Amino acid sequence: MPNVLLVGTPNSGKTALFNRLTGLNQRVANYPGITVDLSVGRLAKLPHLDLVDFPGTYSLRPISEEERVAVGHFDASMGDPTVQQVLCVVDATRLEKSLFFCLQVVRACQHQGRPVTVVANMGDILTRHRLSLDTEGLSEALGVPVLLVSARTGEGLDSIIARLESPQMAAVVQAPQAGGGVLASEGGPADNALYAEARRLAEQYGAPSDVLLQAQSRLDHFFLGSLSGGLTFSIIMLILFQSIFTWSAPVMDAVEAGVIGLGSWLLPYLSEGVFRDFVADAIFSGIGAFLVFVPQIFVLTFVIGLLEDSGYLARAALICHRPLRFFGLSGKSFIPMLSGVACAIPAIYAARSIESPRARRLTYLAIPLMPCSARLPVYTLLIAIFIPRETALWGLVGWQGLTLFTIYLFGMFAGLVIAGLVNRLTPAEDQMPFMMELPGYRMPALVPIARRSVQRAKHFVTKAGAVILSVTIVIWVLGYFPNQGTDLGGSWLGMVGQWIEPIFQPLGLDWRYGVAIVSAFLAREVFVGTLGTIMGIEGAEDNILPLVEQIQANALPLGSGLALLVFFAIALQCVSTVAILAREAHSWRLAIRMVVAYLCLAWIAAWLTFQVTAWFQ
Amino acid sequence: MAAQTDIFTLWDLPLRASAELVGFAASLSERYRGRLQEFGFHAGEEICCQQQPGFGAPRVFRVSNATYSLDQDLAKQVLVRPIGGSQGA
Repeated sequence: MPNVLLVGTPNSGKTALFNRLTGLNQRVANYPGITVDLSVGRLAKLPHLDLVDFPGTYSLRPISEEERVAVGHFDASMGDPTVQQVLCVVDATRLEKSLFFCLQVVRACQHQGRPVTVVANMGDILTRHRLSLDTEGLSEALGVPVLLVSARTGEGLDSIIARLESPQMAAVVQAPQAGGGVLASEGGPADNALYAEARRLAEQYGAPSDVLLQAQSRLDHFFLGSLSGGLTFSIIMLILFQSIFTWSAPVMDAVEAGVIGLGSWLLPYLSEGVFRDFVADAIFSGIGAFLVFVPQIFVLTFVIGLLEDSGYLARAALICHRPLRFFGLSGKSFIPMLSGVACAIPAIYAARSIESPRARRLTYLAIPLMPCSARLPVYTLLIAIFIPRETALWGLVGWQGLTLFTIYLFGMFAGLVIAGLVNRLTPAEDQMPFMMELPGYRMPALVPIARRSVQRAKHFVTKAGAVILSVTIVIWVLGYFPNQGTDLGGSWLGMVGQWIEPIFQPLGLDWRYGVAIVSAFLAREVFVGTLGTIMGIEGAEDNILPLVEQIQANALPLGSGLALLVFFAIALQCVSTVAILAREAHSWRLAIRMVVAYLCLAWIAAWLTFQVTAWFQ
Repeated sequence: MAAQTDIFTLWDLPLRASAELVGFAASLSERYRGRLQEFGFHAGEEICCQQQPGFGAPRVFRVSNATYSLDQDLAKQVLVRPIGGSQGA
């Protein structure tokens, strides 16, 4: 199928434009290096054309993995007859920086006879500050069309469609009027000439950017101040974790009440027997226990989305660089690690933007210990069992939220310690320097972030839900037969559970928890569903009880609860994460070693926790 | 041409002071020299130190119409000289 390439410098808004033009919902954020792989989507208004979104790169001479992806594919595309047009996105507010790469692309396209259009994005920011860009002048100087658009507001997008529809689209571009003959990646004097050309064009046709930079500098003064910067960083992180409990609690209560209400309404209509027991135990107790946590996934993704879109994360990376370096990591490791709080898979991809191979490998080691959203249902369940739901400071700070914050800190600290140990124990390599472009601050776009959060919550339900449903059915069948749920210990599940019980007994956990832990190797969230099903079969009540109440009624010891928390904080149980790790690190050996090492470490740390708690009690 | 003694490293540029880029230390690898040039760090370019976060964190420099953060190792390999009465540390 004919296709259109979307290239540009990092953080020029390519992916936002891609989403607008295709109607897709690829991840976007306000910091460089968010897109690390190619994305392909069909243009919504021109369904005969595919749009290919490239990772951003500062030049056609790559230094990081995602830049190598972009440049490698760009070079290959130049010889591809299906490529009909190249859209080179530039940041209209930072024209000089973008034009250096843009000139390389224009020259390369001219060299290969490919049509190219320059798309000057972020036109809305220019309008808001009463600035302008001389698109006609720039177009004349470059010898290619220049369109001013805003991917954020949708302004000017029709001009891109019109351009792609025009019969001249396939025409070879004209030669530029100035600076011709300077090719892309020669380096040295050629680069100097190209840069001088970019600067001249930006000064002549671009908007003065002093106003924007002054506003950014004032905010940086606060967010990067020695005292205010550190304090703000701590407060923002605390709010992030508090929000997971405080903001989502009412919706979680509503979902839980809804599940119980629906079950109470439906069950009396079903006649006594196997089917009714299945619906009560597997569907309402098992799946219902898992659904309660979906609002938290939404809130977590939403708050991280706000941070990503605001431009703050690049500053956070800067603040964290020095402490992370102590552990052999880089400030750039911070963004993948924070992404890992939502899900380890995009976090592993995001580590591509770390230039240093050593820092990247150490980041891979730390990411699986970041407290990902799949762990959240387990943590929330255990916290709800042991920690009272009381709040302080007018409801802003809750004990449950503080406990979660502590568990998250534990996971992050464990990740750093392991990275640091491996860094110290392996032969030293040259540290690569830290250099990062700081994006401008902006108000987060709430609607796209909310849409992405809904998508993430949906993904959580559909992907994890399918696994959980399958596991729940298997667990229920094994637990219900051969004695129709009258004796869980004598069921097939009980027999299997008692066989694995010796592994978990030293942690103070009986076979039911052992079965739930083993089932969580498919996906961590399965733990909650499995436990819900087991407790559902075991419960003699006709009423469906929240899982928390059922576990409280079974009197899980505090030491065992803490041991479970520690086990889940360290164990690498996610099959998908292991597969992606192996692919990105180009090493199955590393991935398998990590699984084994983290499992052994998780068990030992959990056992120590149980023993220490028992000693204090 | 400024005297050799006027030249100092970008890391030593005081907060809010500007300086003119002279060149790069010979020890800086071609790869990073190239990337800095792509960012706009060219001989003769004016660079302003915009932020100096505490505890040895990377500093923020404005070059042309963009701001970049460079750590100590890198900023010490960028050589500058004062302009407009700015003094290096």
